[in-house]
Amino acid sequence: MAICTSLYSTCSISTPSKTHLGFHQKQVVFYSSGVKKTSKKGGGGGCGSSRPYVITCTASDSQTVVIGLAADSGCGKSTFMRRLTSVFGGAAEPPRGGNPDSNTLISDTTTVICLDDYHSLDRTGRKEKGVTALDPRANNFDLMYEQVKAIKEGIPVEKPIYNHVSGLLDPPELIKPPKILVIEGLHPMYDSRVRDLLDFSIYLDISNEVKFAWKIQRDMAERGHSLESIKASIEARKPDFDAYIDPQKQYADAVIEVLPTQLIPGDNEGKVLRVRLIMKEGVELFSPVYLFDEGSTISWIPCGRKLTCSYPGIKFFYGPDAYFGHEVSVLEMDGQFDRLDELIYVESHLSNISTKFYGEVTQQMLKHSDFPGSNNGTGLFQTIVGLKIRDLYEQIVDSRAKTPVEAAKA
Amino acid sequence: MASIPTPGVISPPLGFRSVALFPMAVVRTHEKKKGGLSVKAMAVAKFKGTQRREKQLTEMIEKKVTEAKEVCEGDATSDECRVAWDEVEEVSQAKADLRLKMQKQDPLESFCEENPETDECRIYED
Repeated sequence: MAICTSLYSTCSISTPSKTHLGFHQKQVVFYSSGVKKTSKKGGGGGCGSSRPYVITCTASDSQTVVIGLAADSGCGKSTFMRRLTSVFGGAAEPPRGGNPDSNTLISDTTTVICLDDYHSLDRTGRKEKGVTALDPRANNFDLMYEQVKAIKEGIPVEKPIYNHVSGLLDPPELIKPPKILVIEGLHPMYDSRVRDLLDFSIYLDISNEVKFAWKIQRDMAERGHSLESIKASIEARKPDFDAYIDPQKQYADAVIEVLPTQLIPGDNEGKVLRVRLIMKEGVELFSPVYLFDEGSTISWIPCGRKLTCSYPGIKFFYGPDAYFGHEVSVLEMDGQFDRLDELIYVESHLSNISTKFYGEVTQQMLKHSDFPGSNNGTGLFQTIVGLKIRDLYEQIVDSRAKTPVEAAKA
Repeated sequence: MASIPTPGVISPPLGFRSVALFPMAVVRTHEKKKGGLSVKAMAVAKFKGTQRREKQLTEMIEKKVTEAKEVCEGDATSDECRVAWDEVEEVSQAKADLRLKMQKQDPLESFCEENPETDECRIYED
């Protein structure tokens, strides 16, 4: 297994000489009878030789940054994922040529794994046992932990595939360690061992009213569905959701809370949204976004003399708070953008957004203006969190490059 | 990817209307009205495999909603009732995911490029 590992990470083949790094290296020495071996398609060739070669692989290159995202909105296609992979560059696509029902997404830098793949019970099994997919008993946390740990250490894994169409567990697919691994699903922070592997975690907290409005939009066109059936489905899943999924938000480094607007009295269409970005204080390498004056409390309506907004306008709030016993900073946006200049105006007043150039947030939002949430706080905060994750990733990579000893100890 | 803008000047990507930044209703191929709500019709499936999945999920949603209603009639708090509605949620989400993927291109496109001879990849004709 170690041999195969070395061929996936960055390796150099050299004749034996003293190593210049000296730490945290795997060294493999090959001896063969000199018989030429044909290399497998896509696999590692060049192992057969009659002279001894030392393959040196630096683990610091293959240490993957792991992000956890808790969301109840299915896997991989979520808008958040698309925005995140876009921040890093490129679009995430399903793995080419493999199982067409794979839930995995891969881009140049990022691999997104759907945690439904770790279901221990398929649809039939869950029906027999009387457990929903939300129930921990339907999920194999031991395997989840083992595989996320392996990927983090640079070892490829054969990960199961849960097929959402057939409801069955399909044969596994190979996952090679990427620069950034995102694990997305219902239980990324449920198991404490998996939690400890996460470099950053996010919880998407959708309020019941908004969830209902979104599911109506999603399902009303389907034969069989009605307002009542949509409502019944949400209600029936609520006990398990409250028991197993919701408690994870206390562990998240950032929570994106989506609520109905307060700007339109009695609005229940769920179109205008109030979105709160709750950021944990004291998280290593993560500096919360703030408005005007860090640590103070700010109420801000950008629309006025300099900026004209259409109804219902935009309202911001920023301030410190406590969340499940932790100190947090909360940045809140209620309302909608409908012009470019509103967006750039707001961006120019936010601090600690980890952009690389002025207008980067606006540019990212514009790039994906057809994504849901592009005109409100969901798109704005998802984009900002994406930039914060990029910043976190770059800090981790920089620190590992400078001090391999420290990195080895970490 | 759009080029890096100079401060204060952001050029919108091609095809953008200069007045409204975020058009409220993006009109795609067809729009049908059902129950007062405007819904987008699904993009057409190119391969037989996608058409099959679409059909399967549509039928499953209908079937599972009926099942759930029956099961829950007895005891709405029973495990069976919760599992039944969870199945409805699972297939509803799977259908929505498929619908979303199909807006760009047939999800089997890359699979069928490499395996054109399979049954899944026969070009679907109505």
